[in-house]
Formats: sequence, structure tokens, C-alpha cells
Amino acid sequence: MSKVVLFGLDGATYTVLDDLVARGMMPTLAEFMRTGVRAKMLSVKPPLTPPAWSTLVTGRTPGHHGVTGFFQYDAPDSLSIQLISSRQLVAETIWSMVNRQGKRAGSLNFVAHQPAPKIDGWVIPGWVSWRWIRRLSHPSTLIDKLKAELPGFDVKSLAIDFEEERKAIVGAPIDDYKDWVGLHINRETQWFNVMKHQMLHDPVDLVGVVYDGVDKLQHLLWPYLDPALTPAEPDAEFLRIRSLCWDYFRNIDNLLKQTMELAGPNTTIFICSDHGFTGSWEILFINNWLEERGYLTWKEGTEAVQDDNQELEPSFYRLSAFDLTRTKAYALTASSNGIYISVKGRKDENGIPPEEYESFRRKLIDELLNECVDPETGEKLITNVWTREEIFDGPMRDIAPDLTLALRDYGFVSVRRNRRMLAKRPQILGTHHPEGVLIARGPGIRQGAVIDDVHLVDVAPTALYSMGLSIPADLQGRVLNEIYTPEFLEAHKLRRGEETKAVAAAAGADAPGDEEAEILEKLKALGYIE
Amino acid sequence: MELLTRDKVRQDLIELLKDAREDWDHSINVTDETGIFNDLGFESIDAVGLSSSLEAHFDQSLPFPEFMTKVKEQNLKDITVGHLLDFLMANLRQSAERAAA
Repeated sequence: MSKVVLFGLDGATYTVLDDLVARGMMPTLAEFMRTGVRAKMLSVKPPLTPPAWSTLVTGRTPGHHGVTGFFQYDAPDSLSIQLISSRQLVAETIWSMVNRQGKRAGSLNFVAHQPAPKIDGWVIPGWVSWRWIRRLSHPSTLIDKLKAELPGFDVKSLAIDFEEERKAIVGAPIDDYKDWVGLHINRETQWFNVMKHQMLHDPVDLVGVVYDGVDKLQHLLWPYLDPALTPAEPDAEFLRIRSLCWDYFRNIDNLLKQTMELAGPNTTIFICSDHGFTGSWEILFINNWLEERGYLTWKEGTEAVQDDNQELEPSFYRLSAFDLTRTKAYALTASSNGIYISVKGRKDENGIPPEEYESFRRKLIDELLNECVDPETGEKLITNVWTREEIFDGPMRDIAPDLTLALRDYGFVSVRRNRRMLAKRPQILGTHHPEGVLIARGPGIRQGAVIDDVHLVDVAPTALYSMGLSIPADLQGRVLNEIYTPEFLEAHKLRRGEETKAVAAAAGADAPGDEEAEILEKLKALGYIE
Repeated sequence: MELLTRDKVRQDLIELLKDAREDWDHSINVTDETGIFNDLGFESIDAVGLSSSLEAHFDQSLPFPEFMTKVKEQNLKDITVGHLLDFLMANLRQSAERAAA
């Protein structure tokens, strides 16, 4: 059976890819599509990078794998907030699943993978600054080995630069665009070079790599990438910036070409994105709305931001911005679009009585859907509100927000305090859309087919099937039979295997009861307890 | 109940911080007064890696975002090794006491 490459394009959307293919900018992708299968890939709700990629690599939904956002509560009864890491990813990953069946794996630039899991293979986590990437990779000698063996390897170029990434969210001066796009071209090439080096010198059966510049470019430069937003008569500056964007995607196309050559014809390649993209034109200051409705009280001295401030949340969470003794509901982080309801006895003694939870939540949902409106037009700003039972069902459900919002422009809420509830963006910025891409090509895959929508959760079982491995019985996704030829399906019967291997939970909802005792033992072992 | 050895935690923390410096230079003299931004050249963006590294080393979750928020609210000019050590000791001790209870 075949080897597999997961060629991750963070945030890739057919809105952009089809346009670039039609313009002849991505000839390899065009050929890949012509000789493979394509589908819209439905993301998780909300379509956010950490829960989405975690779903792809586990075949489990966020309520099961435990990653709900970039920041999340440590436990249902805790007010402690954690930065997302591999500690929160409590479901088995596909890297481990293939290991258990005697195959090796390599994982590059996936979020929530730091510290790297100790798999049979190699892992360099994403979303880690260069200073820490060496310590947090696996094996621990990997980065030093690459420095010694791989010409041109530069760990600073490889790792995420958060100051540069902020520009994707808050905007950047036009003069910076060339350098900024160049930085991303260079970074993607670095990741490819690492993958190539490893595939040649430490081969694996499954390799996954995420090229995350797609997301960054689309956040900042969406008006130059969405063909529907191209002016009728674009000026020279527009053309110059669009050309920079095209350079980036030409490079991605070249990396795909090299990946195909490197992998050979007996490898199945899945091009996949964690979510799609679209344009956002406004900012909803959701905590201001909650304040207006009497659900939230700011702590005295909490500063209001300027109306056009595009930074949706402070550098770190600001629970301390709220007067929790007089707050019943609040949004904690921008990207999760989540609202937490404060319930007495859940995390502390503040909030509504537990017996009022259901009625309070129903009322809040109704008001969010029907009364959170554009002050100028009266149009509804929120198109959907999900409860956590609906979108985070599973053992980790209770760490998730009580409610999750979808906005009319698909944007992220701001959790900052403002003088107004709604502000127009000075210019359209890109934001996440629930429809991403899946394009597959390889042994047994149909050619030129377009199939119905698939879900992120389907990727892991399908990749395992392509590798000829059994599918763990408790994966929530399905093998996408429709992407394969009937002959291939006939010759390769699907095999169900044992359930996924349990991963020790962090201090999560269903953490083992003896965890505290384990901590004591670990502290003893480290020499911290006499 | 004094169960934790501050010296051992300090020693491990300093080794970890030195390890993350650009040149991985272990000869630099780091004390409780050393600032991780001004003296060691870290940036606020290193919080993710620092947090994950500390959690991995001590094998427990740490409320790092809260720590960074408090630092911001107190308008500290820098986070010193001593600040980090206090944060670690408080959380490690809390875990140990919970476990021992």
C-alpha cells in the first residue's frame, strides 16, 4: 500500500486556488486536480486553526481531542487559562496510530504539538518561536542535526515570528508587504527543505507538513486575492501587491511539484486545509453588547480601545477586565467566538444559580440571534449560536465556551472594551470561512472527480486506509470511499482495528482520578519533594 | 509544610532559560535578578515556548497566561528569574499540597 503525504495549506480556499489555477499561476496544482479528486472540506465550528488541525490529525472532534482554541480553561471548575499545547491534545494522533501498526511518521509545523510527542519518527511543532523549537522538537537532537547536515537551514526563518504574524491581524504598512511576503516564501521553503532532508535521510511512511503562510497572506491581503474584490481598473499599487501574493502561491506550487517528485507515484498526497477564507468588513465588540444588555460589568479602570483598533484581544487573556461579581456572561478570547456563562459553584461563587442555567442560556441565545443588530440598518449581526452540547460534545465538552457565535461576515469578535458595539474596518481583512479544501491524488484515487463535501474528521481514517492500515473503531470520521476507484476498493477491504490509544488528559474534564497522586510521584522523581 | 526545594527549581529554570538563548551559551551568569527580556534577550512572544517547556519539564499545567497578565498589569519593567521562580514555586507547591492532602 502507499505512503501518504498530508500537504497542509492553512486556510486554503477554492476562491483563491481556482482563480490562480485559471490564470496559469499554479500549473502543478492544476495537474494535481486534473488527475485527482477534489471536495470542499468542512471545518469544525468555529473554524479555527488549533481545533481544526487537531481534528484532522486525530479523526476526532474538539469535544474529544480537547483543543478548543488558542487559549482555553484548564478544567471545567477552574479559572486558570492555558496556552494551547500538546498537553491539551488528549486524543491519539495519526502519527501514533501508524506507529502502533508498525509504520513511522513525521510531523512538521502542526499546532498543539509542543512539546513534541515522542513518536517513532520526527516532529517539529508549529507556533513555537525559534528559541524554544529545539527543546520542543522530537527527537531532541533533530534541530542540531539539521543545522549540521542541511545547507541553508535557518531555525529563525523556520519558526513562527509572532511580531510579524500580528501584522496579519492588525494590518501592516504597504511598504512592508514585499518583505513580509518574502518572509513567508522563505519560511515555506525552509519547511519543505526540512521535509525533503528528513524524507531522504530518515524516511517515514506518513509525513504531514503545514504551510501556514497561506492563512497569513489571506488575513492581511485578502482584497488582492479574492477575485470578486478586484477593482474594475486596478491601479499600479494594487497590481504590485497582487503580484507579490502570486509569487507566494507560485512558490507553493513549486513546493507541491517537488513534493510529488520526492514522494514518487506510489504515494498518496492529500492537499488539505483546516478552514477556508473570506472577507471581514466589521468588528463586533461582543463584550460591549453584553454590557449593554446588563450581562457584563467591566472592572473599574478597564481601558476602552479606539473604534478602529483591529487588535481583537490583548496579548493575553483579560479575565481581570471583568467585575466577575457582577458579570453573568463574557467573551474571553477573540478567535474562539465563544461566550462563557458564569454559573455559581462552577468555577467560583459568582454568576447565576445553576437551576437558572438552561433558561438563562435560552434567553441569551434568543437575544444574540435577534437583538444583536447593526445600529444603522437593524440587520442581525449573528447568524448562528451553538451550544457546547452541539459542537463540543464529548469528554472535554465542559472546558469549552457555553455558546459559540457565527457572525454575518464570518469575522472574529473583539473581546476588548470599546465606546461602540460595532465598528467598520478601515479595509477588508481576510477571516476564516467554514469551507476549506481537500484534493487527493495517488494510487487508487479517481481522476478528475469532484465529490460532495467532506469533513476534517474524515482525513485521518482515509489516510490510514490509503496506507493499508486498519481504522481505529472509535474514529468519528469515515473512510472516503468515493475518492477511490471501484477496483481499488474491491481489492483493498476496509479493516476496523482496536480503539485509539488513550492519551493522559491534562487537568481536563475526565482526567483520571489518581492524577494528583501521579503528580506527587513525578515531583518526587524530579527531586522537588523531599 | 515546606516540601519543595527552591534551589533545585532555580537550577532547572536557569538551565532551561540558558538553553533557549540564541547561542545556547551556558557560561552566562544568571541570578534571581536577571531579567528575561532585557538581560537574556527574550521577547514576549517566547511565552508559548517557555510555557510549554516549563510544563513539559515539571509535567504539569501552569497558568502562564495569568502570570503574564499580572506582569502586564503591574507594569513591571522586566520579568526576572526571581518572578518566574515565585510563580513556579507557588504552582508546584499547590500541586504537591493537593496531592498530599
